[in-house]
Amino acid sequence: MTEFLQQIVNGLTLGSLYALIAVGYTVVYGIVQLINFAHGEVFMIGAFGALATWTVLFKGQHGLWVLPIMVLGAVIVSVLTAVVMERIAYRPLRGAPRLAPLITAIGISIFLQEAVRLFYPGAKSKLTFPEIEVVSGTALQVGGLTIQRAAVFTVGALAVSAVLLWFFVNRTRLGQGMQAVSQDPDTAQLMGINVNRIIVIAFALGAALAAVGGVAQGLLNSNIDFRMGFLAGLKAFTAAVLGGIGNIQGAIVGGLTLGIAESMATQFIPGQFGGSAWKDVWAFVLLILVLVFRPQGLLGARVVDRA
Amino acid sequence: MSTSTPDLTHGAGHGDHDDHVTVPLLERFPGRGSAAAWPLGLVGVLLLVGGTFLSWSYTGDVLGDLSINFYPGGVQICMIVLGLVALAFLLAHRGPLSRLGDWLDSAAAVRNLGLGAVAYMAVAIGVIAYESGGLINVNPGGWVSLVGALLLAASGLMLVSRQHKDPLFAKTTSWLEICAIIVLMALVLFGAAYALGIGDGASFVLFLMFVAAAATALAKSGVFTWIGLIAQKNRPVLMLGAFAVAFLFPFTQGGSDENMSIATQVLIFAATALGLNIVVGLAGLLDLGYIAFLGAGAYVGAVLSNSAFATIGWKPPFLVVVLVGAIFSSILGLIIGSPTLRVSGDYLAIVTLAFGEIFRFTMGNLDGNNGPDLTNGPNGVPAIPDLNFFGFDFGQPHNVAGITLGRFANYYFLLLVIAAIIIFVFVRLNNSRIGRGWVAIREDEKAAEAMGVNVFGLKLFAFAGGAFLAGMAGTVKAHHDVSVTPDQYIFLESAFLLAAIVLGGMGTVAGVLVGATILKLLPEKLRFIADYRLLIFGLVLVLMMRFRPEGIIANQRRKLEFHEDDEDLAERIEEVHLEEAEAKA
Amino acid sequence: MAQRSVMTMGASLLVASIALAGCGSRGDSGDSSDSGDTGSSSKVAKIGVIAPLSGDLSALGKGIQHSVELAVKQANDSKAIPGWTLEVEAVDDEGKADVGKNGATKLAGDDQVVGVVGNLNSSVSQQTQPVFAAANITQISPANTGPTLTRGADLNAPARPYKTFFRTCATDIAQGGFAAKFLIDQGIKTVATIHDKKTYGQGLVFHFTEAYKAAGGTVVAAETINPDESNYAPVVSKVAPSKPGAVFYGGEYPQAGPLSKQMKAGGLNVPLMGGDGIYDPKFIELAGSTSNGDLATSVGEPTDATDAGKKFLAEYEAAKYPEPSAAYGGYAYDAANAIIEALKVSLKDAADAKSARQATVDAVGKVSFDGVTGKVSFDEYGDTTVKVISGYKVEGGKWTFVKSENVG
Repeated sequence: MTEFLQQIVNGLTLGSLYALIAVGYTVVYGIVQLINFAHGEVFMIGAFGALATWTVLFKGQHGLWVLPIMVLGAVIVSVLTAVVMERIAYRPLRGAPRLAPLITAIGISIFLQEAVRLFYPGAKSKLTFPEIEVVSGTALQVGGLTIQRAAVFTVGALAVSAVLLWFFVNRTRLGQGMQAVSQDPDTAQLMGINVNRIIVIAFALGAALAAVGGVAQGLLNSNIDFRMGFLAGLKAFTAAVLGGIGNIQGAIVGGLTLGIAESMATQFIPGQFGGSAWKDVWAFVLLILVLVFRPQGLLGARVVDRA
Repeated sequence: MSTSTPDLTHGAGHGDHDDHVTVPLLERFPGRGSAAAWPLGLVGVLLLVGGTFLSWSYTGDVLGDLSINFYPGGVQICMIVLGLVALAFLLAHRGPLSRLGDWLDSAAAVRNLGLGAVAYMAVAIGVIAYESGGLINVNPGGWVSLVGALLLAASGLMLVSRQHKDPLFAKTTSWLEICAIIVLMALVLFGAAYALGIGDGASFVLFLMFVAAAATALAKSGVFTWIGLIAQKNRPVLMLGAFAVAFLFPFTQGGSDENMSIATQVLIFAATALGLNIVVGLAGLLDLGYIAFLGAGAYVGAVLSNSAFATIGWKPPFLVVVLVGAIFSSILGLIIGSPTLRVSGDYLAIVTLAFGEIFRFTMGNLDGNNGPDLTNGPNGVPAIPDLNFFGFDFGQPHNVAGITLGRFANYYFLLLVIAAIIIFVFVRLNNSRIGRGWVAIREDEKAAEAMGVNVFGLKLFAFAGGAFLAGMAGTVKAHHDVSVTPDQYIFLESAFLLAAIVLGGMGTVAGVLVGATILKLLPEKLRFIADYRLLIFGLVLVLMMRFRPEGIIANQRRKLEFHEDDEDLAERIEEVHLEEAEAKA
Repeated sequence: MAQRSVMTMGASLLVASIALAGCGSRGDSGDSSDSGDTGSSSKVAKIGVIAPLSGDLSALGKGIQHSVELAVKQANDSKAIPGWTLEVEAVDDEGKADVGKNGATKLAGDDQVVGVVGNLNSSVSQQTQPVFAAANITQISPANTGPTLTRGADLNAPARPYKTFFRTCATDIAQGGFAAKFLIDQGIKTVATIHDKKTYGQGLVFHFTEAYKAAGGTVVAAETINPDESNYAPVVSKVAPSKPGAVFYGGEYPQAGPLSKQMKAGGLNVPLMGGDGIYDPKFIELAGSTSNGDLATSVGEPTDATDAGKKFLAEYEAAKYPEPSAAYGGYAYDAANAIIEALKVSLKDAADAKSARQATVDAVGKVSFDGVTGKVSFDEYGDTTVKVISGYKVEGGKWTFVKSENVG
């Protein structure tokens, strides 16, 4: 039983991370029907943004108070990257055949990884992420369960982000505009909504959450490297599809489900095909199964026609 | 000769009958149309070529030896060729070859040649100055040629096009067309052999600039349109010629393995990309995990080989292995293809990407620790012996007609056969009922289904067929590479394959071959950018999608998809089709 | 009439093709004259270096490269081989098998290469061995500890697979045995093993486990990780319930550092122990402040513990290379000197470098001299005859030497 609960804790941690990234896929897809394949790189750049903020401003400091500023630095770098990316690469391709933006996304993804590898000092190998008091260090023991301090941060960050996101989407003009555009961009435009602006905001929103995820990953793993975005991005996309792409609640539910499923697979699939070596395989098998048998995802997708 | 060619209004050049045609930026040059343009061009050619016979560099160790008067080196000879081609176009514009000028846009050609020559000379002088420490080391010859290039460019910018016939409708006799194809093939062979022989990066870049300048000039002038036409008319000759060139290539290498190793890698890569081209280019199904099929073939080749690390006791002859590998691969293709019934578009791309990752993880896991011992895990299967066909050992050099052919040359010939099979299958499929079905699915799946096309069957067949070809190439790759490891089959490799297709031109054979060559050859030759290779690669993908999504060598029908508002193009394609239909009737 | 104009165009293409042909011939003749020039003054033989010069393990690879450069520079300065100049040709293997094999092919294709120092990773050497063997090029690894490389796939019936492969460091049989004893000496009787499934990690854990059980210890859990993974929480949770006294990790520091940190953050507060692959300052950097008490073994005595080693470090320092000599610098230096010793014999009467390859292989098997890591000589498998292993412990953010032993 302890093992089971322990894996739930691990799964929730991992799942929160996936959910933070998955929101970015889902928001953008809901509005422009584009799989922003480079979103994983935005997440990676967020982590490097946080590290850079710490290295430049607070090197040697480990107090909790630097964390909000690191997060802010991460968010700024990620949002800038995403907005520039949208403006330069994606916007001119709106209306082009589907293949074009997807290949562009792969191009951006490779470009961003390489840019970080080549131009961030020392990024050719793993970089140590700073230890911050309270959120890193020895684990907490709660009734036989071990809880990483960084896990508390990750789950908390997701909870706060989700509340803010809900508020933004449902209670602000911009958020309602976003909903309108995702339902019918042409009509929304006729109603006086600036669609281009909404799209930029969707990219920025996703990037901000991914940046928070980047900081969480840095704290969890205690190191970051330029490759971290690829697999994380792919998993987060899986999570978005699992929950129903285009559906924001879906992304969060999907992320948590995927995280827990992965942890359970590590612990409870018996024999040689269990264990951490196969958890990624099981995650992708899950993706394929969902796409084949329930392509609209757990909570239903906003976008019905996916031709 | 028929004179019934219609006087085509749309081929008539720039704005001589339509006032609000926008003039491209390049052609807004002061003094445009002036009578001085033509003689200026002649002077330019004279100086450009004359300069090459003088010394360019004070030191003799830059760009090969350019310091000797009246003995031009390779870098200089390229400029002589460029000058002569420019001369031909100038004479076609006005003078003895002016009949040719009726068909070709000689002004555009001269313009591109001139600008290309300026860029070439600028880089050459820059390299000389940089490597020997200062502009002082550039000898007068270099400056003379630079002035010549500038004059030529100015002349090209001032010339006004006078072409009034579309080269698509040029009627030429077949012996001439065949000669042209042979000359073209010979050019390709010499060009490839020469380019591969260049040792230093700067000379190689200059040679590329030369080829690019010449190619854009010929393309702009319309020569390539004509060549495309005759290539279509004389397809068997072209194919034969291309294979003859490919076959002769190892004999130009004098037994050196270095370039042959690159050439075999290009072939493996191209063969796989051609398989992917069936899936992506013809059927329009985006596959981001295609490298897994090559990997599946390679793993089959490895575990059924005589390697001491092979885990399966069965050691069948190689031809059986090829078949097993190809079939295994196509079964995987069927498995991954079956979800296509339900998902399409972007989702399919992600499913295939996930599949590619599953393959890599699985190969890394089946090592006895985390699964049955089949693949040796991350260490892969090393020490795969060379192939041996009836006593012909692929690992040993052989002498043919006094020329030594090394290990890679042996594999090169085998791969050439496989590439030929794949190209044959590709072309036959493309022109068959199946190929038309794929195109229909690609254009509009629902309409295709309504017209009675078996959508699901054809999609599955595309996956299985493409995978079969890749699996075949994979089994040879295992022996060629000596070892098979999971990290050879990462996502980046799939992206490279896709990029080869996209860069070269989707749905075309030549385009894929060009794309594969560019992607594999350039990093080998441009060692000095090795670290920035991927960065540039990513950037090129983005720029390509933005500015020329149809690829370098575009399938015209495909081109239209990306430029829907280009009515000129649509009309031309239609007319060519009509012509062809008439010719058949 | 169109016909004639096209004919003229064909003719111009023909002219172009002839001119291009001219292009080709000049390029070729230029090449051959180049090599002729260099051949006339002093003959050149190259010693290749193949190691990870970029990527996670580049700290170790760069140290190997510069140490070989130092040895070659000293040999050239002292004119160790009359009539010949030695050069170093360094190739990056990125620590990856595939890249390494391409690099090896490149070195083997260079006619001037007579010997190679490398690789760092056993999994990479496994791929490069056949390439060098086919070309008769001596390969001496300063760091490969995987026993199968010299003794073949079946260790119970050892048979040397490649006559061209040698190594200057002791194997994992020696290291695993020492590590087991070292851990028992520390009073730790239960252990969990984790490895990265690569040749080195898997082999080290295998030999450690054998020796540890024989010495009375218990292995309570055996797990693996994926080398390109960076989140080890799942594996830590899986190991933690079995309450091991330590975790023995087979692999290299880019994974071991974060693993150590995540173990302690995940509630598994026991020392992590590893082999020479984690004995690097970068491990402590990645593992952070909680790495105190972590253990490692490494081959040979600490380089700065012997006079020869001190002299080497001083000379390395004086040559002002941008990176430190790292864990394998001394071994790489000895490996390069072993090749140079052999070349003194094999190049004496050789016409060119390529023809001396076989003689070099034969001569390397017979060398015997005092290097910086001890006596350098090879047994019938190509293994070094000296098998000194040392144990280290992290104390105060630094590796500190605990003890060493000759287990040969």
